[in-house]
Amino acid sequence: MSGFEPYNDVVRTLFENPVHAGDLQGSYAETLASDASESAGGARVMLFAGIADGMIAEMRFRVWGCPHLIAAAEMLCRDCEKGPVSRLSTFDRNAVMAKLSVPNEKTGKMLLLEDTLELLWAEHRSAG
Amino acid sequence: MTGEPIYLDYAATTPVDPRVIATMQQCLASDGCFANPASIHIKGRQAAAVAGQARKQMAELLNTSAERIIWTSGATESNNLAIQGAAKARAHRGRHLITMPTEHKAVVDTFRALGKEGYEISWLEPDSRGLLPLDTLAATIREDTQLVSVMHVNNETGVIQDIRSIGSLCRQKGVLFHTDAAQSVAKLDIDLSTLPVDLLSLTAHKFYGPQGIGAVYIADMTSGGISPIMFGGGQERRLRPGTLPVHLVAGAGMAAAIARQEMAANARHVETMRDRLWAGISDMAGLTRNSPVDTAFAGILNVSAEGVEGESLMLGMEPVCVASGSACNSTSGESSYVLRALGRDDRLAQSAVRFSFGHTTTGKEIDVAIGRYRRAIDRLRAISPASASVS
Repeated sequence: MSGFEPYNDVVRTLFENPVHAGDLQGSYAETLASDASESAGGARVMLFAGIADGMIAEMRFRVWGCPHLIAAAEMLCRDCEKGPVSRLSTFDRNAVMAKLSVPNEKTGKMLLLEDTLELLWAEHRSAG
Repeated sequence: MTGEPIYLDYAATTPVDPRVIATMQQCLASDGCFANPASIHIKGRQAAAVAGQARKQMAELLNTSAERIIWTSGATESNNLAIQGAAKARAHRGRHLITMPTEHKAVVDTFRALGKEGYEISWLEPDSRGLLPLDTLAATIREDTQLVSVMHVNNETGVIQDIRSIGSLCRQKGVLFHTDAAQSVAKLDIDLSTLPVDLLSLTAHKFYGPQGIGAVYIADMTSGGISPIMFGGGQERRLRPGTLPVHLVAGAGMAAAIARQEMAANARHVETMRDRLWAGISDMAGLTRNSPVDTAFAGILNVSAEGVEGESLMLGMEPVCVASGSACNSTSGESSYVLRALGRDDRLAQSAVRFSFGHTTTGKEIDVAIGRYRRAIDRLRAISPASASVS
C-alpha cells in the first residue's frame, strides 16, 4: 500500500545524486558566484559558474534547504552547464515546479533559486 | 526508498500487541462482546463486564480505583476534558491557569482557547533542560489560580518533569494539578495512590494498544472537580457521553495489563537501544543532544545537527522512520516550538530528529539508523553553504 508521496522520482534521483553540488573544480577566465537566502533561519542558495569562450564551462551549487530545493538547484546546474552564458538569464520556474511536482507552499523556495540565478546573471553583465 | 522501513517513531504511535489484537477480536464478531454496554440485556451486560474488566486493568496499572478512570477517544480529548472541564467547573472561584509553552499542542491550544474565553493563562518558561523551576511555579500561583497543567514526559525531548513536587506544591496551595501522561503511562512507574495528581491524561496507542481510545484519571469524583465539555448521554459518569467502543476499551485494558507485567523489562530494553544509538553518533561534530542525559525518558532521544535542514535529513535517512523538528512541508514553515523554547535557534530546531524506541526495536535496526543518520548528515553538510564552518 502506498501513501502520500511528497517526492516524485525526479526529485529523489536528483537529491540522491547531486553531482553539481560543491565548489567549482576548474580554473576559468571568468568565475561568477551568487548567494541568497530567505529570512533568518530559512533556506539559502549559492550558485557558482565558470565561464569560458562565452559558454558555461562548469556550474555548481550549494544549498541549505529542503529536498525540492536541492533537486531544483541540481537540475538548474545540469541544464545550464555546457550551454551559452545567456542561459543564466532564463529560469522557467513553472516548468521546474511541474517537473519536480513542487507543492505550491514551496513556491518561495523556487523564487529563492530564481533570485540567486538573477544575481549570478547580474554579476556577469556587470563584469562584461 | 531503499530497504524495509525501520520504525523508530514509537513516541508517535506503537504497533498493536498481538495479544491486544486477540482481545479486541473477541469483541467484534456477532458471537463476541460487541453490544452496547449501556444496554441491560444479556449481550449488553456481557459487554459491560468486558468494559469493566478493562477499566480495572487500567486502574491497576496506575494503582488507583477503577471508578476514577473515564474513557475518552485519546489523549487530545482527555487533555481537553481535564483542562476545560476543570477550568469551567472552578471558574466561579477564579480564572487564572498555569501551564508551559513546551506542552503538547493538545494542551497548548486548549489553554489558548480558554484564553480567548477570558481566562488568564501564565506560561512558565522551562530551564535549559526543559524542566519547570519549582520556585517559578510557587511564585506564579495566586489566590485565584485554579489549575496547573504540566506534562509528565515531554513528547519531543523525553524530559521527565518532577510531577511529585509540582503536585505537592499545588496541593499545598489548593490548586488542581493536571498532567498529560501520554508519553509516560505504561513506560514509567506511576502510582496514583501516592502521587499528588488530580487529573491525568493517557492514550492507549502509545503503549501497544489501539488508536482511538484514551482515558482521564480524576482523583476526586465527588466534589464536582470537572465539568463535561460534551453532552448527549449519561455514559462515563456524564463526563464523556457516547457509546463505549467495547473492542477499543478491551484492547486498552489488555495493553495496560501487559504493560504492568513487562514495563520494567521494556524500560531496560529501550535504554539499551537509546544508549547504542547515541554511542554510534555522539562523536560527530556539531550535534546537540536535546534530550537531557539524566532527566529524560530513555525511550526518546532528540538530537539536532548543525548545518543540515530537517526535511532533507529525513529524506536522506530513509528508510528509517523518525520524527523531525522541521515543519517545512507545512504552510507555517515553523520549526519545533518546544526546542525553540529551550533556546535552540530556528535552524538547530529544524534539524532535530526524534528517535524513539520500543520493545521490538533491535540492535540491528539501531545500527542501520546510525549508518543512515551519519551518511545523511555528511552528505547534506558537504553541499551546505555552512559546511566550511562545521567540518
